[in-house]
Amino acid sequence: CKSKFERLKASNDNAKKYQEGIKYYHKKDFGKALELFDDLVQRYRGQSDAEELYYYYAYTNYYLKDFTSARYHFKVFADSYPNSSRTEECRYMSAYCYYLDSPNFSLDQENTQKAIDAMQLFINLYPKSERVAEASKLIQNLRDKLETKSYNNSKLYLTIGDYQSAVIAFGNSLRDYPDTKYAEEMEYLTVKAQYLYAKNSFEVKQEDRYNTAITYSQQFTEKFPTSKYLKDAEQLKKQSEQGIIATRRYLAEAATNERLYKKIQAEKYKLSPQAQQDTTTKKK
Amino acid sequence: QVSNQPRAALSKQIPPDSLSYLNPREYIIGGITVSGTKFLDKDVLIQISKLNKGDKITIPGEASSNVIKALWDQGLFDDVQLNITRLTLDSVYFDIQITERPRLSRIHLTGIRKGEIEDIQKMLNDKGGKIVNENLLNTTTNIIKKHFNEKGFLNTTVIIKQRKDPADANSVILDVAIDKKQKVKINKITFEGNVAFTPKKLKGYLGKTRERKWYHLFGSKKFMRDKYDEDKQDFTDKLQAKGYRDAEIVSDSVYRHDDKTVDIKIKIYEGPKYYFGKVTFSGNAKYPTAFLNTLLRIKKGDIFSEENLNKRLSGPTANSDDISSLYLNDGYLTYQADPVQTRIYNDTIDVDVRMYEGPQYTINRVLIKGNDVTNDKVILRGLHTKPGQRFSKEAIVRSTRDITQLGNFDEQKTDPKPTNINPQDGTVDIVYNVVEKPSDQIELSGGFGGGQLVGTLGLTFNNFSLRNLFNGKAYRPLPKGDGQKLSLRGQSNGQDYQNYSFTFSEPWLGGKKPIYFALTAYTQLSSNVSSYASTDPNYYHLKINGAGVTLGRQLKWPDDAFQLNYSFNVDHYSLQNYPGYLFKNGTSWNIKLTQEFSRNSLDAPIYPTSGSNLKFTVQVTPPYSLFNNTNYKIATAQERYQFVEYHKWKFESQWFQKIYGKLVLKSQAQFGFMGYYNKDVGQAPFERFKLGGDGMQSYQYLQGSEIIGLRGYKNFSIVPVGSTYTDQNNPGSPIFNKYMLELRHPVIASQSATIFVLAFAEGGNVWNSFSDFAPFNVRRSAGVGARIFLPIFGLLGLDYGYGFDTIPGQPDANKGQFHFSISQSLTGGFN
Repeated sequence: CKSKFERLKASNDNAKKYQEGIKYYHKKDFGKALELFDDLVQRYRGQSDAEELYYYYAYTNYYLKDFTSARYHFKVFADSYPNSSRTEECRYMSAYCYYLDSPNFSLDQENTQKAIDAMQLFINLYPKSERVAEASKLIQNLRDKLETKSYNNSKLYLTIGDYQSAVIAFGNSLRDYPDTKYAEEMEYLTVKAQYLYAKNSFEVKQEDRYNTAITYSQQFTEKFPTSKYLKDAEQLKKQSEQGIIATRRYLAEAATNERLYKKIQAEKYKLSPQAQQDTTTKKK
Repeated sequence: QVSNQPRAALSKQIPPDSLSYLNPREYIIGGITVSGTKFLDKDVLIQISKLNKGDKITIPGEASSNVIKALWDQGLFDDVQLNITRLTLDSVYFDIQITERPRLSRIHLTGIRKGEIEDIQKMLNDKGGKIVNENLLNTTTNIIKKHFNEKGFLNTTVIIKQRKDPADANSVILDVAIDKKQKVKINKITFEGNVAFTPKKLKGYLGKTRERKWYHLFGSKKFMRDKYDEDKQDFTDKLQAKGYRDAEIVSDSVYRHDDKTVDIKIKIYEGPKYYFGKVTFSGNAKYPTAFLNTLLRIKKGDIFSEENLNKRLSGPTANSDDISSLYLNDGYLTYQADPVQTRIYNDTIDVDVRMYEGPQYTINRVLIKGNDVTNDKVILRGLHTKPGQRFSKEAIVRSTRDITQLGNFDEQKTDPKPTNINPQDGTVDIVYNVVEKPSDQIELSGGFGGGQLVGTLGLTFNNFSLRNLFNGKAYRPLPKGDGQKLSLRGQSNGQDYQNYSFTFSEPWLGGKKPIYFALTAYTQLSSNVSSYASTDPNYYHLKINGAGVTLGRQLKWPDDAFQLNYSFNVDHYSLQNYPGYLFKNGTSWNIKLTQEFSRNSLDAPIYPTSGSNLKFTVQVTPPYSLFNNTNYKIATAQERYQFVEYHKWKFESQWFQKIYGKLVLKSQAQFGFMGYYNKDVGQAPFERFKLGGDGMQSYQYLQGSEIIGLRGYKNFSIVPVGSTYTDQNNPGSPIFNKYMLELRHPVIASQSATIFVLAFAEGGNVWNSFSDFAPFNVRRSAGVGARIFLPIFGLLGLDYGYGFDTIPGQPDANKGQFHFSISQSLTGGFN
């Protein structure tokens, strides 16, 4: 014996289905509403209630947390009924569904990027809408997420001891997000990574790399004269300078010490283009 | 038919030349009417048309053609016209004339099986609600015919009848009668024009189009058009690879032989056989021509084969010793080699390879895409491509392998791509596209052991995240994404036997270095409380508790496939009136330190096709007898084994290699030995080796015995020669070895399931002392089996083995035996 709902679903009384569907919707029984609407949207195309039906249909998906479907249906609504009073709302909701589908920063950010694009499109289409303020706020949240991702992934290289990679990654991150809130910290970490990179390099390469660290440190001091990392950055500069002196002394000694000289020649060979490409650091 | 030309109405009202694309004019829309509607709402159609009364419109112009487009896109009409009913000086009146068509309410399929109906319904799903016209009928017929043609039913007929849907006005039901007819096979393939090649050889070149012959045991003998077309392409390639550079198929025809079969006739032109002349290089700056020639391995006079030449130039080759690997592994990402045939004289062809080396590229960014569950760092930290490194194809291949080894991603879909290639500053970004796959496993089983039913429930989460344990948002349905592993397992048959275990592991302890950390704990209880009260003299009780911690790390030397692990484990045994053992009452401690040195270079965890897995293990306990003042010469068993002492050594190795096609050979050898520090203490009863059977950790094990499978024999039935133990009371032996050869062939290799079949020959034996040890005196067996890997259940296996050697005193221990196994040899195990 079938329940009332199943009988209704199997029937062909579209008008009844529509009314009952709306009732279920208002009773917040979205699962049942969706089942009825799913059947109807095809059949109502080109008929007078189609617009309202589709509006409810999109929201039903939204309330069921199927944001991927909801986002699509809101967009279809906006594209089909560009003159409707609900079009602006649906465009916003479509973008908002992307926003809700944007995951934690350490996962793939495809939806974050799409959410930003969709929100921006909304702002461009309805610059006078009262939803613009909210949309701008959401865009800021999404951008923060991308910045956090970039910052964390760059810092990972420093954590696992790939100092050269860290320097490059921090540089890229700062180029991608020049006004990021992590700018100061990342600039400082660049100094640190460069110093550690130099320190862990073969002696023949150290002086150049220490010099780069000194340059980074000076740039940092100029840019952030009141930074809480200022002391540390200056300390790293001092250590780099000491490192250069130590390297020079080591290389000078090698000129008179045959064993050391041979070792350096071997290192130079390793660094030469003919040799196997490998990292130019001693240890990892 | 779409028409946006104003028609009859126009000519009456205004002169025909007043509307012209050369002279568009702007009008105000004076009114819109709709004609031809039967079921649709006119206002809605006007709304869809986006024409508004009072708006300005340029005629002719884009706006008027958009009306047609917008309406047509609805897919509701057979015809849409936009007519102008009246045109005054500044106003235009439109009439939208449409022809409605009945819509499709459903498709009713007959003449085929239920499963087939479902398959086809799925393919036709998107047709619901569309209008029924010739196009719909044709596409429906074609989809069905194509579906069956691909399966070898070439003569399928489809008849479609329309009938009104009584329940829904303006809708029709399609009754589709399908007659598959019989499958068409290939009777005979004949060739014409072949001189150098025998028909047999030529038939072999048609890989998937094969004659119906009794000796074609495997593979399809059906005729399938698309496979045949592919085969034809390969066919000429194969002829050309043999030096027949001009070879081609002149004509071919497939014709009916009888109702069930077709004949194929192929006419070919072979042309002369060509040979390589001089091979020169130009444009090569990095490596001299002589060096490139040695890598190319093509000499003057070799049979000319473009395929071979291209392979040596652009790869891929099995061990990457081609020229493209040389360049691509050294940063020359945009390397190109274009072989040009410079001179052809008689049957000899000179080739000049024009090289473009380009700049050496450095990696700038490394990005991960598609990780919806697993956090970036879990993938990024293990990659061999890092910012600042020189571009290398080899490093990318290794990184890809390591990503798949994580076990959270679909092996087939892990796809690295160099993007953002920037020749100016010589940098490139590398994007790893990944697709998550379910990696959690559940083990739910009921088994019959020792005359009792034993139930097991095990859960393994392979991508666990401990730090998110208290973060409700990260639950889906458990905290995931940090690449940690948590497994919980419980096994019980009720009151008499219970075993619970817990394992947690983290591959990067502290997040700085790949230091493996694992924590395990278990507790096990066996008794006969269900049969005897605890006061009964027959009552016995055994309880084992254990905990352990493991630390390990990948080594850089000799290469980074080496791993060194240390574990510290404590097991505590408490016996009460326990029969058939060394002592009946008392406690025993097994405190051990294990060092495991291993190297794993298998290319895949579930179905390896190449690589090796070696493991050397040493396990020691403190030498208590040196300092505990026990007089072991007169000590009771309880005193003797309160603190167990022994040292144990084990060496295990396995190799996988491709033999032929997809056939893989697994060869394996294992050896284990346990010794004692003090002659007076003697051999420890714990941790011995028990050989025979499926190798599953059985609930019978009490003293931490190491269980080694040997198919074709009953579980634990292998006892030393001359011993009178049986599989029931086998206490285990201190020495064992085992050899195995196994041929494996895949049946299905996909994301959702991996299935392979195997045939094996193996042998192993145990000894009580080195004086008896004879490594080649083994108990032998052979057999066949199959393994199924399902992502949620793990690896399930069934083997049939035949043991050739009788075990004295155990008449049913050898001969034919079935073995069932779960989740073995997944974690680098050797069973």
